[in-house]
Amino acid sequence: MRLQYPSDIKVIIIPCTGKIDILHILHAFEKGADGVYVVGCMEGDCHYTNGNLRARSRIKHIQKILDTIGIGGERAQMYNLSSNDGPRFAEIAVEMDEKIRKLGPNPIKLAQNTAA
Amino acid sequence: MKKKIGKALVVGSGISGIRAALDLAEFGYGVILIDRLPHIGGILSQLDYQFPTDRCGMCKMLPLVDRDASSQYCLRKGLFHENIQIRLSTELTSVEGEPGHFQVTLRQKPRLVDPVLCVGCGECVKVCPVEVPDSFHAGMTTRKAIYLPVPHAIPNPYVIDMEACTRCGDCEAVCPTDAIKVSEHIHRDFRVLVVDDELIVRDSIKEWLEDEGFTVNVAASGPEALDILSKQSYQLMLTDIKMPGMGGVELLQKAKEDFPDICVIMMTAYATVETAVEAMKIGASDYLIKPFEPDNLIQMVFQKYQEHEAASEAPIEVGALVLCGGTAYFNPSEGENTFGYGVYPNVVTSLDFERILSSAALQQGRLVRPSDSKPLRKVAWFQCVGSRDIKIDADFCSFVCCMHAIKEALVAKERAEDELEAAIFYMDMRTFGKSFQRYRCQAETKHGVRFERGRVHSIIQDEASGDLIVGHVDYTGTHKEEHFDMVVLSVGQRPAPGTAELAEMVGISLNQWGFCKAEPFSETLTSQEGILLGGSFSGLKDINDSVIQASAAALAASLVIHTTGGSLLLEPKSHEPFLDISQEPPRVMVLVCTCGDTLSKLFDPQQLARRLKTDPGVDRVFFLEQTCTAAGWENLVELVEKHKPNRILIGACIPYLYSRKTRELGRRVGLVPGLIHVVNLRLMDQLSKLKDETPSADEITAIIHELSSILGMGLARLKWADPTPAPRVKIFQQALVVGGGIAGMTAALAIADHGFQVDLVEKEEMLGGNLTWLERDLEGNITEIILEKTRHNLEKHPLIRVHTRSRVLGSYGQVGRFYTTIEDKAKGTFTLEHGVTILATGGMEATTTSYNYDKSEAIITQKELEQKINDNKLHPSQLESVVMIQCVDSREEPRNYCSRICCDTSLKDALCLKRQNPDIDIYIFYRDIMAYGFVESYYTQARKAGVIFIPYDVAEKPRVTVTDGSIQVTASEPIIGQKIRLDADLVVLATGIVPTLPKDLAEAFGVTVDQDGFFQEAETKWRPVDSIKEGVFACGLAHSPRNIAESIATARAASQRALRILCHEHMPAGKVVAEIHHSLCSLCEQCIDACPYGARTLDLDLEKVIINPAMCQGCGSCATVCPNSASTLVGFSDRQMLDVIDSAFE
Repeated sequence: MRLQYPSDIKVIIIPCTGKIDILHILHAFEKGADGVYVVGCMEGDCHYTNGNLRARSRIKHIQKILDTIGIGGERAQMYNLSSNDGPRFAEIAVEMDEKIRKLGPNPIKLAQNTAA
Repeated sequence: MKKKIGKALVVGSGISGIRAALDLAEFGYGVILIDRLPHIGGILSQLDYQFPTDRCGMCKMLPLVDRDASSQYCLRKGLFHENIQIRLSTELTSVEGEPGHFQVTLRQKPRLVDPVLCVGCGECVKVCPVEVPDSFHAGMTTRKAIYLPVPHAIPNPYVIDMEACTRCGDCEAVCPTDAIKVSEHIHRDFRVLVVDDELIVRDSIKEWLEDEGFTVNVAASGPEALDILSKQSYQLMLTDIKMPGMGGVELLQKAKEDFPDICVIMMTAYATVETAVEAMKIGASDYLIKPFEPDNLIQMVFQKYQEHEAASEAPIEVGALVLCGGTAYFNPSEGENTFGYGVYPNVVTSLDFERILSSAALQQGRLVRPSDSKPLRKVAWFQCVGSRDIKIDADFCSFVCCMHAIKEALVAKERAEDELEAAIFYMDMRTFGKSFQRYRCQAETKHGVRFERGRVHSIIQDEASGDLIVGHVDYTGTHKEEHFDMVVLSVGQRPAPGTAELAEMVGISLNQWGFCKAEPFSETLTSQEGILLGGSFSGLKDINDSVIQASAAALAASLVIHTTGGSLLLEPKSHEPFLDISQEPPRVMVLVCTCGDTLSKLFDPQQLARRLKTDPGVDRVFFLEQTCTAAGWENLVELVEKHKPNRILIGACIPYLYSRKTRELGRRVGLVPGLIHVVNLRLMDQLSKLKDETPSADEITAIIHELSSILGMGLARLKWADPTPAPRVKIFQQALVVGGGIAGMTAALAIADHGFQVDLVEKEEMLGGNLTWLERDLEGNITEIILEKTRHNLEKHPLIRVHTRSRVLGSYGQVGRFYTTIEDKAKGTFTLEHGVTILATGGMEATTTSYNYDKSEAIITQKELEQKINDNKLHPSQLESVVMIQCVDSREEPRNYCSRICCDTSLKDALCLKRQNPDIDIYIFYRDIMAYGFVESYYTQARKAGVIFIPYDVAEKPRVTVTDGSIQVTASEPIIGQKIRLDADLVVLATGIVPTLPKDLAEAFGVTVDQDGFFQEAETKWRPVDSIKEGVFACGLAHSPRNIAESIATARAASQRALRILCHEHMPAGKVVAEIHHSLCSLCEQCIDACPYGARTLDLDLEKVIINPAMCQGCGSCATVCPNSASTLVGFSDRQMLDVIDSAFE
């Protein structure tokens, strides 16, 4: 369909959102990501039965951590969509991009830049 | 063991075609999957949501065994399996030969857009001047004449709608890869001769056709035409029928004698249509009625031109054919068009409504109606439009529409955040499938969908508002009127186009409505051995039944190929053993596709190469022009063979397309699949960011940066890739079947006939299950025939050991090797080893105490009635009045499911009694008559025979009282609105079916049962006979209530699923599979709980967590929950993931 979505998004493919690790997401923030979002199958329709539900609770947990350490929980989000729903994928990308732009750069990056 | 080899043809690539093709491919056969449409997926490509989950989930059909043979990718987008060759826009033109050795010829429609050259850039769409309604989106949006038939399909070449195309050639001019050939010069060589005695006719036709680019000549008479034909060859002749002297028919005869290849179209006045039809019998290929519109003529000539171009290919030998041609839908604008479809814009069909619901449709998922984009607030569904209608010769039920309507109503309500009122107008709500009844109840009680029994008689559109005024009568006879924003017509089915022709070609028969007819007790076998029916081709079916039946058809096809020797496909290629590179440092070869000169036009690729080479793991970097083409790929393979890297990174687009190629490449150069990785460069996206044609230096730096980051992420994964080959699981190639009813016996035979040992365990002394007392089915087929045949074949089969009076005491093990202890009353206790298990433990008629069952001998169950009839203990001549009560203790909690066969049985019994004594008064009290599919015609027959059907509500059931030995039934009769009292000589209770699947037996094999005690399948639609634990399958009544033919279909499907495991000596795991480092493991067992497939167990003797790699599907849940990183997922280790993240932000 050749849909356009914001170019500042890096896609990392994992077999199932149930594979996302809190450590990996925090590492992304450490490396300067301004936001991270996880896109899984629709709830109730996980290809691997229930991985997306595990992912959802992990994202909630990460949001808490991010809030606590002052990065802001909103920077991590979970979305669900069907894999044939390209338009929705693009829509989510735009939504996330706008949200993160409003929030501004990741404070860790700012701190690192100042330290440097 | 040498792998079984052979080839099958699957005709039709809808859901059942895909299932049949995958089943055969997983078993090791080569499959040619064809479809006359330019895309796969059939009707499901337009359906985004399926009940009961109201989601998709088609990907769950992907192979679980040897899963790397197929791309693990959205199946609605595309199917990529190395044993399946897909041929689109292709039709079957002839079949010759015998089972096991059919010679088939295929014809591919010429494609004006070359699918190999088309890169899908969409430049053509921008310039196309034609806009037409888009049929994919049910005409709610428009598309160009050059378009994508299914927007989400992959690969997705453009196609041209020849009816809409003006042949302007603009698209051809802009196509960057010269994929389009539309303009006139291409059919200049197609020569047309126009013969008519009227000058004006022949001259105008000549002019029209020449404008379209054909070469045209004219003749004023028959003899002149023959003279012209003798001088030069023509491909098409258009001739008038009535001409002075030699008429058109005589000309046709003479022309065909001398030039048999010429295609002839007869032109006729209305009065001589019959002559034209006669002419077609002697060789004319079509006719046109004068006067005709130029467009009609041109379209027909184009069609002939395309047929001419689509020269048949050389015959291909296949062992068997599976016909999965699907069905078509009733067009409600035909005939009387009571509901104004096509007249009122807000009257849509159920298929149109799917597109309205689809979030992929262009309204961004907002639910609005077509006429004025007003948000939908009140929608009505009308059931049985084009079904259950004798007036239009549709005395059948279309099987899926009731559930389809409920699902649409629920999804619509969800979409509108409950601000939508939904009403379904129906006659019987046919919720006969497993879990359907509860789905309906939830829709009604929890979500507030309104179910209105009765028929709608009229729709009038309110001119001012565009609303629809619906007039209907409920079953008390009250007339009502109601306003709706939109009306959805649940359209019934019709045979798919071309069904009759195909049936005639292969020699199979059709039923009275034109659907294909299967043999008795079978849904898949036809009168022609080796030609099987899959899915809806024999009448519409829901996904669950289609998938089951497609697997059953695949099994039957496989059996034909197997028994006829089957070795038509090339021997499986033996390949070099994988290289041991575990001690070598990574030497990555990076191959970047430049997409023609797209990339090299922008910058010197060496800039990118230099950047990549800063990574010490990168050995060499090459740039290739088009890796997606055959030539481009050959170049790539040459480079790999020359430089022998130990890891390969390919940067291209659409990585899914490369899975087959990279597996082949890996085998060729000895690299395990995990060492070859393809990343998506998103080159087109990078380019679209550029502001103008000459990018600035900054923009170029940004692109190089982006590309090297994408490639860097791939490198990070590859560098740490584990070079050990995927583990394999040894399979003990024997099966255990538990249960010796018709399902169990069928399954055992199917497996043994493929050459594998089977043990069959039956608790009774006799095999046969319910067929030992059930004498005939509704159609009158005698069950003894099939029972005896099956029992005979089974008992004499050298590979089947039957253990009667035996039961399973316990079982241990997993797919590949189970150890099961059997207690045999005669032989004592022993242990069997087997690789797979099929549970066919059956079911039985439920017992009851309702309706005073135990108070009188004249109150009996359906089974007791059948037995009485069979044993001649019942004398219909002595009966005056018989009452049958449906849904006894069923379709309400706790047994809130439909047993599917009881309505069928009551119809059968009522008709049987009426045949023997037409004077018996028979009353059937029912809630919804579940006469689904073609059973409907028996419901009609019963009503014609005078059987009286009285509906009752579950809140007000009939009452049966016994006084002094006589029985009275009292009930409310809703039509007359009064209480009635009937004296009955006999009361028959339809108590339904309960499964006999003991919980401890299920647990012994690690499977679960649902709340009603039936086998819980891995997924009701997509994996209907599998358990979530690999290697255990179920069929027959233990699975769900079904009739005999349907039970046999589940048995065949289950054995097909079992065979795809049994056929491997060693079953390969996928390349992405979980591992465990025992030294780090603290035995917390969290991974065991997390694994959705039960692939992990704790071995108490070894004190280790053990993984069965064949059961592991590589989701990685275990790796994430492991607190010590002892559990890892190959290809996604922490080191890889962290490195990938680093590269992403470099």
